[in-house]
Amino acid sequence: MSISRRRFLGWMGAAGAGLAAGGRAHAAALPPSGGHPDALGVLFDVTRCIGCRKCEEACNRVNELPPPERPFQDLGVLQKTRRTDARTYTVVNRYEGIPGAKGPLYRKIQCNHCLEPACASACFVRAFTKNPDGAVTYDESVCVGCRYCMIACPFEIPTYEYDKALTPRVMKCTFCHPRLVQGLLPGCVEACPSEALTFGRRRDLLRIARERMAQFPGRYLDHIYGEFEMGGTAWMTISGVPFAAIGMREDLGTTPAPELTKGALGVVPVVAAMWPVLLTGIYAINRRRDRIAREEREAAVAAAVARAEAEAKKKLAEALAKAEKDKKAAIEREVKKALEEAARARGEAPAGPAPGTPGATKPA
Amino acid sequence: MTAPRNDRALLRLLPVAAGILVLSAFLLGVQGAAPPPPPEPEPGRPRADIIRIDGLRRFGKLERPAVTYLHEKHTRALAARNLDCLACHLPAEKALSTKFKRLEDVSREQTMAVYHTHCTGCHRETAARGEPSGPVSCAGCHQERPVASSWRDIGMDRSLHYRHVKAQENRCEVCHHERDPATQKLVYVKGNENNCRSCHREEPVEKVRTLRQAAHEQCIDCHRKRIARKEESGPIYCSGCHDPAFQAKVEKVKEVPRLLRGQPDQTLVKAARRGAPPIDPAERAAVVAFNHIGHEAYVDTCRACHHATMASCASCHTLEGAKEGKFVTLQTAMHRGTAEASCIGCHNAVKAKPACAGCHAAIPVKDPPDVAGCASCHVPRPEGLEKGADRQAVARRLLEARSPVRATYADEEIPENVEIKVLSRTYEGAKLPHRRIVKALAKGAAESRLAAAFHRDPGTLCQGCHHHSPVAKKPPACASCHAQPFDPRHPGRPGLQAAYHLQCMECHRHMGVEKPVATDCTGCHKEKR
Repeated sequence: MSISRRRFLGWMGAAGAGLAAGGRAHAAALPPSGGHPDALGVLFDVTRCIGCRKCEEACNRVNELPPPERPFQDLGVLQKTRRTDARTYTVVNRYEGIPGAKGPLYRKIQCNHCLEPACASACFVRAFTKNPDGAVTYDESVCVGCRYCMIACPFEIPTYEYDKALTPRVMKCTFCHPRLVQGLLPGCVEACPSEALTFGRRRDLLRIARERMAQFPGRYLDHIYGEFEMGGTAWMTISGVPFAAIGMREDLGTTPAPELTKGALGVVPVVAAMWPVLLTGIYAINRRRDRIAREEREAAVAAAVARAEAEAKKKLAEALAKAEKDKKAAIEREVKKALEEAARARGEAPAGPAPGTPGATKPA
Repeated sequence: MTAPRNDRALLRLLPVAAGILVLSAFLLGVQGAAPPPPPEPEPGRPRADIIRIDGLRRFGKLERPAVTYLHEKHTRALAARNLDCLACHLPAEKALSTKFKRLEDVSREQTMAVYHTHCTGCHRETAARGEPSGPVSCAGCHQERPVASSWRDIGMDRSLHYRHVKAQENRCEVCHHERDPATQKLVYVKGNENNCRSCHREEPVEKVRTLRQAAHEQCIDCHRKRIARKEESGPIYCSGCHDPAFQAKVEKVKEVPRLLRGQPDQTLVKAARRGAPPIDPAERAAVVAFNHIGHEAYVDTCRACHHATMASCASCHTLEGAKEGKFVTLQTAMHRGTAEASCIGCHNAVKAKPACAGCHAAIPVKDPPDVAGCASCHVPRPEGLEKGADRQAVARRLLEARSPVRATYADEEIPENVEIKVLSRTYEGAKLPHRRIVKALAKGAAESRLAAAFHRDPGTLCQGCHHHSPVAKKPPACASCHAQPFDPRHPGRPGLQAAYHLQCMECHRHMGVEKPVATDCTGCHKEKR
């Protein structure tokens, strides 16, 4: 007895769905992110950013990153749209000619520290951790270098040290987690001269953002980018122009990345843990079924044999009885024949000898 | 089958239309021709003459894409053949119909037939003459063809209105009319002129035509007739009214005489309960005197305040709200900070000008407004205000009693230079030409009557920077509130460094002060060596 591949997968799917329905399945074993009410965050106000690159400079300094090709005072680099790389955790880009904006606008890019990080959900060695302070940090000691995190991140933030042959790392903003632990501000936040970066508890930041929108009608769009995007991010943005105009994706939706994959990925640990039990069980079931089948077959055969024997015996008996009867009839026939012959030999004499005469018995 | 029958009906009409054409061409020849249409804009340039022909929409979903029709392109082609509006528009009772080759809306099939017969008919004829012509296939016209539009609304501002008044020699009845409820006829009632939009809405209401229809029929018809009489006239082509480049060329009259319609010079703002006459000011605890004649000069149209009708605010916006006023109460109608036609909404719009925005852009808009400002408008009912008193006289007296604040402190009371060095770390202290800054702000404020009316104290101006504290010649130091950044007890309050930077940079940005640029650190404070 064997199970088909299709039926096996069917069971697995059912098991995965059952897990999903039973509670929040955190693919690749994420800690529940909704459970950090005091998690920190940063609110980036596009209307306040002047594009001075002080944040970039501070980031480079506090994270001890390699020196840049062009100095941070050189604002000419803003002519090109840049992105984060293995030597840069954060960049500021300039956007010009936006309808409704008086002059150029600037946007700072760094890891948004998702509440439910896609990078962490894609990592099968748990190299990423969502910390209670809100930071998503990376542990290079377990990283196998698959770079799934880079593919998973909707904001294209993690980068890779391709130029290191032996110890390449995934590089991304850490929210200055080591500094937060010491009670210091993130480097960029501390350096921002106009508090375009407002640091605080995420729930306070949401309130501050709403207050600014109410106090200065017309200055902001009624949207806090990151409040719900990809299930919410610790770093959020408010702006007076559509977010797409300053290079932000507006197609991400509000579903956290792990939610999209938990059905399939949630099954993985189950498969790993339950595999021996499951297979042993399936084996036992199959064995038991085989044994019962065998016993039933044997019993049936025995019964059939017994029935056949009984019938054979009966037939034999009948045959024997018939043979006896035939034998008797043959004897009688022979006796009768002999008597008639004897009578004829006495011949011709008056017929019918008297019964009981000695001549009437003749040995056969 | 209906279509063939319609075709026959139209064919019967053709001789009539042809007759009209010939007649009008003859008349035009006699009376003087219209000015030539403006030249075709370069391809790809935004234009103001785009019409979407989608008249079948009212019969349900369109089977094919609507037709993107460039009106002036056709006008130009017709003018080259000495044809004018009448080539496409039929004369109705008073003016030419704005509809194409018909006077009224007709059935779906008839509408289709009108367009298909006449558009492709003309295109075929033109092509037969060997001239460049338009499409004759379905998809030639019915295709999604996005064309950049420069179309802009045009309103009758004070200058334009005055030029019309002058041209029509004060005959208001040429344009203004109302429907007499008894006879259902259009009549003119002197002193009861209204905005066109008070009756002619976006969508037709009963028999009343839309604003679009009414304006195009009445304006263009009058302009055409004046052109025919060789009198000074207005535009008859789309771009003449709706293209921003042409709008900029419209002559502006600087000194527009006051428009008289029986309005008061000064008045007490009326308040009324639903379904009741206005409350007599003598019965109110406080009153608001309104300088009507003054405000007439600040706005471009009566419509700026009288946004629906020319009646008083209280006739729709009652104290408790009424259906006529869309249940917007009088209080909200006057104070809503983000509404265009409210007092405070309009004042806020003025405050967005560079001279004011340096300070005001950083002052949060409060809805409802700060109670400290109430007394600027609301004053206790004056002594001797009797029942049935002359409102205008009382209002005039109250307005005259106001003392506008036009100046700030005397020069010697304003510190000349201020050095901000409390944060000095990488940079030396910033030297602020304090008095020069104050004088620049004071100049802007002195020129504004709004500022004069609402800046209550010579020190009010100082509060642009020295905010959230009472007026004082020696205001508290910034650092007494702005301390460490991101203080969890005051999460929204900027730290000291950001407070300085935001205040300076935001003011410069809103006032258009270009130097020093925000990213030029040494423009304000020297680097420490």
